[in-house]
Amino acid sequence: MEKKRILLFVLIVIISIIACEKDDICVDGDTPLLIIRFYDSENPSELKAVPSLRVIGLGQSSTVNTIADRTSLDSISLPLRINEANTGFILISDSADEDDLETGNNDTLTFDYNTLEIFISRACGYIANYDDLGELLSSDSENWIQNIEIVSPLIQQQDSAHVKIFH
Amino acid sequence: MLRYFISVFFLFSFFLSQAQKDSLQIGSRDSTRFGQRYGLRIGVDLSKPIRALFDSDYSGLEFVADYRITNKLYIAAEFGNEKKTSFESLENIDDINRVELYNYTTSGSYVKLGVDFNTYENWYGMTNAIIFGARYAGSSFSQTLNNYTIYDSNRYWNPTTFAPGSGSSEEFSGLTATWLELLLGIKVELVANLYLGASVRLSYLFTNKEADFFPNLWIPGFSKVNDNSKFGVGYNYSISYFIPLYSKKENKKKNESPPEE
Repeated sequence: MEKKRILLFVLIVIISIIACEKDDICVDGDTPLLIIRFYDSENPSELKAVPSLRVIGLGQSSTVNTIADRTSLDSISLPLRINEANTGFILISDSADEDDLETGNNDTLTFDYNTLEIFISRACGYIANYDDLGELLSSDSENWIQNIEIVSPLIQQQDSAHVKIFH
Repeated sequence: MLRYFISVFFLFSFFLSQAQKDSLQIGSRDSTRFGQRYGLRIGVDLSKPIRALFDSDYSGLEFVADYRITNKLYIAAEFGNEKKTSFESLENIDDINRVELYNYTTSGSYVKLGVDFNTYENWYGMTNAIIFGARYAGSSFSQTLNNYTIYDSNRYWNPTTFAPGSGSSEEFSGLTATWLELLLGIKVELVANLYLGASVRLSYLFTNKEADFFPNLWIPGFSKVNDNSKFGVGYNYSISYFIPLYSKKENKKKNESPPEE
């Protein structure tokens, strides 16, 4: 009889523990951002910050929410459109306003990619990764961007640059 | 969560019945030999149709059966069919403002085969049971991913919602799973040959064939699959009818063994 009670107790403990589950809060992953680093076009191994950089998503009226607007940066992260095959950005160097008109140098850069949908966990569901990353710089009279190099065509991690921009 | 409470209350009820038995069995045991009835007991799980009444996203039916082979040992089986639509939402605050991440329907059949061991020593003529049992179970099912969105904590391009996934209503069929169940249960004879039973089950998933794109989050017969654990829990409440086939006198040795206390 004692043995049975111990067995019952053990079963109750096991079921109690198993009945617990993690809160349904998504902490297991997130859709990665595109990481861009800026390099000196004359000395390609040296990072070179873009003065007063402003980035606006093509088709959006507000600046991107991932960087501080009009600051000098040598590294930025940009959100891509998940349900489209490409995302365009207007990158403005030396951004400033004069009589509500932008005086900086606008360069329009478009990234194209394939979206991969990946199931991460019960709480998060699906996130996106991107593959086959390509770029297209719209040429104008004076592009401040000299050259673009895709370092990693697969966007899965956020710990290193996917794209190098030389200026 | 409700299931968990019910399980624990149910388990504690054993202590009550055990205690009562102890206090009443102090006197010498009746040594009269009597015929033990052997036969087939078949029934249905009551919990599944009742759950289906209250939960429109669920339907299920389970048949249970056991066949007595020795004094304490039964061959037992369950087979059934379940269908359940579930969703996962970002915030579980209320149903109206809920942000649904994905929604899926699982549908399929399962079979559980194993043994029941009756540990309860009945008084004269009674055939109640406290059961420890084991089952090996298998399920064949399909999952349909009704719709899903892509989680992205950056809201620049989609300020209010998540981007919808590119595919929807995709069915993943030919999924299978096998698992082992340990169970603890009771069976009580209500009126002649009619039994009410209940059991709680601890299961361990052995094999789980799932689609690459969408894992098996719920398996018919097994219920919810946990993210980082192969364990699951289940229960059933059955009503069953005993079909007596033959009687056999209980083993003489068994009857003459001295009382435990």
